[in-house]
Amino acid sequence: MKRQQSKAWMYVLVAVVVVVVIIVAAGYYAGWFKGSTTNSSGTCAPPSGGAIKGAGSTLVYPLMFQWESVYGGGTAVNYASVGSSAGITDITQKTVQFGASDAPLNHAQIAAAPGKVLTIPESAGGVVPIYNVAGVPTLNFNGSVLVQIYQGTINNWNSTPLQTLNPGVNLPNAAISVVYRADGSGTTFIWTSYLSLESSAWASSVGKGTMVMFPVGSGQAKNAGVAGYVQKTPDTIGYVDLNYALNGGVAFGKVLNPAGHYVLASVNNTASALKDANPTLPAGSGDWYNVSVLNAPGAGDYPITSLTYVFVYQDLSGVFGSSLTQTQAETLVDFLYWMVTTGQSYSAQLYYVPLPASIVGADETTIGSMTFGGSAVPNSCGSSV
Amino acid sequence: MDRPTPSSPTPRGPRRSRHWGDLIFAGLVGLGGAGVLVLVFAILGVLLYQSGLSFRAFGWQFVIGTQWDVRDNIYGVVPFVSGTLITSAIALVIGFPLAVGSAIFLTTQAPRWMRGPVGTVIELLAAIPSVVYGFWGLYVLGPYMRTNVEPALHRYLGWTGAFNGPATGTDILTAGVILAVMVIPTISAISRETLAAVPISQREAALSLGATNWETTRVAIVPYARSGIFGATILGLGRALGETMAVTMTIGNRDAVPTSFFSQGQTIASLIANELTNSNGPLQYSAIIEAGLILLFISLLVNVLARLLLWRVLRVTGGSTE
Repeated sequence: MKRQQSKAWMYVLVAVVVVVVIIVAAGYYAGWFKGSTTNSSGTCAPPSGGAIKGAGSTLVYPLMFQWESVYGGGTAVNYASVGSSAGITDITQKTVQFGASDAPLNHAQIAAAPGKVLTIPESAGGVVPIYNVAGVPTLNFNGSVLVQIYQGTINNWNSTPLQTLNPGVNLPNAAISVVYRADGSGTTFIWTSYLSLESSAWASSVGKGTMVMFPVGSGQAKNAGVAGYVQKTPDTIGYVDLNYALNGGVAFGKVLNPAGHYVLASVNNTASALKDANPTLPAGSGDWYNVSVLNAPGAGDYPITSLTYVFVYQDLSGVFGSSLTQTQAETLVDFLYWMVTTGQSYSAQLYYVPLPASIVGADETTIGSMTFGGSAVPNSCGSSV
Repeated sequence: MDRPTPSSPTPRGPRRSRHWGDLIFAGLVGLGGAGVLVLVFAILGVLLYQSGLSFRAFGWQFVIGTQWDVRDNIYGVVPFVSGTLITSAIALVIGFPLAVGSAIFLTTQAPRWMRGPVGTVIELLAAIPSVVYGFWGLYVLGPYMRTNVEPALHRYLGWTGAFNGPATGTDILTAGVILAVMVIPTISAISRETLAAVPISQREAALSLGATNWETTRVAIVPYARSGIFGATILGLGRALGETMAVTMTIGNRDAVPTSFFSQGQTIASLIANELTNSNGPLQYSAIIEAGLILLFISLLVNVLARLLLWRVLRVTGGSTE
């Protein structure tokens, strides 16, 4: 009896050892134990012992994830992808050191903040119309048609305006099923900003915002939800960020730009749009709500392009008081410098748009104006400022 | 067990220590009980406190308001209450006959070897995570509804006005059908229990009077278990009211009062899932919390009702539910 029991224990022990060995072996081949590959992080070396937190935009999360895992060996920055609006709430309540949003702060949000907020554009992206129409690999859209589809006045794929834009394309006689973002979203802000720019009727009846009352359609959660739903459901149209469309392999349409060309969005023509739009940027501490890089004038520019932003407080010690150490302030400033300079080289591989030099310069000025204890915060990035 | 134990050499010692142990034990479990109560009231308190802003802004208008306008900051809860109640009603209309039918079949008709396995399979439906139901609803049921069920409903029942509008497969009806599948295990399992609790004498009495199987079930068994089945249904309703993930994925998430079964809508639970973390400002946040409070009250009401009915039926049958 006793002997049998100890034998049973032996079996259990052997089984456990075997399982552990298998898991470890599999993990080894999967690269679990390779350690963080030390990527070149420029000349920056974050001060140790001052980890900081950020929260916000899901649009920028893939890029932010890359940044936080490269910068300072992956321990200096912790970014939570909670959504643009939640990010703004978090920075307003001072639970994070920086917030990220695809929409600039509106006046109420600026008023609610406990200190002067600096707006730092850290990347940019395009928003594309995605669709699922059987046997139609490419489609042309223009602003007016997109507005009418989202208003519900164009409700069939073979309606005359769509036929006119797409001569020779055999469009089916099927009702258009419109899809939008169900959650508050910077992507919706960019999309509705474009529709508002294209149609004064849209601007006055629906307007722009991270969450608006779309006249028709159904909502899906998050970029991935919209992309997945459109990909799987015939006769749908939706909108997502370019990187989600490219990564998800869903068909997206060309959009007519002001120069009169139909442009299929790419990192390159979004970058050129950003350069050509050459927006007059307000000071970092100014009002960014109406900053727009939509409808850039260049011949090859993709028209639905937008900046995405990081928000920080200018007077760090004044706002955070004793809850922020000098070291944390240095990490924050150092990370921001790194993000707008060296960090930009990680953008393109993730289908984000690197910032043009003019915006990088403006960002560096803004970051240089941040203070802790009344004096500028030193950084290790060897910036020009 | 009640056989007297051999007297111990030091009778006072152990008894004293047991006394202290009892005290500690009572204290610990008492703390647990009080903790749960405190937790409930803390949740209620936070909900009440955080919904204050919205309550002050809209008062009772919130309860009867049909508009949920993020841009102009006007919030009314009717779109979500109606979405919640309609989807739950669809769930019961479809789920109830299936669940109760299966329960009656398993307790009165099915051969004995079948009862265990089939009952277990039905209860397994409850073990499927709701996100899996949502996934299935979005990519399997939804497209089928869009191409087959909804066009047919429109053709034959379009004249009622309740089956109009474009068939999309992500709408109130699809969400209701998903919920129906999800409430079946709850209703079926508890109905089965109450049916099994019907005394065998009821059945024998009916049979001895020459009743057929159907008559026995109808006259003797089901009436006896009626309030238990009703309680089970209400518990199922409770589950349907609060279900979030599967509904969010299939209902179409539209902040408007549904006008037909093919309308996109929103339940209170899906509203909270979609908009709470991304609310546009303190007023919207507060309004969503207040909507959550209303859902809590609806669920509470429904559950209390169910408990009362179940308690009654189990007492009547002497609690012999195996």
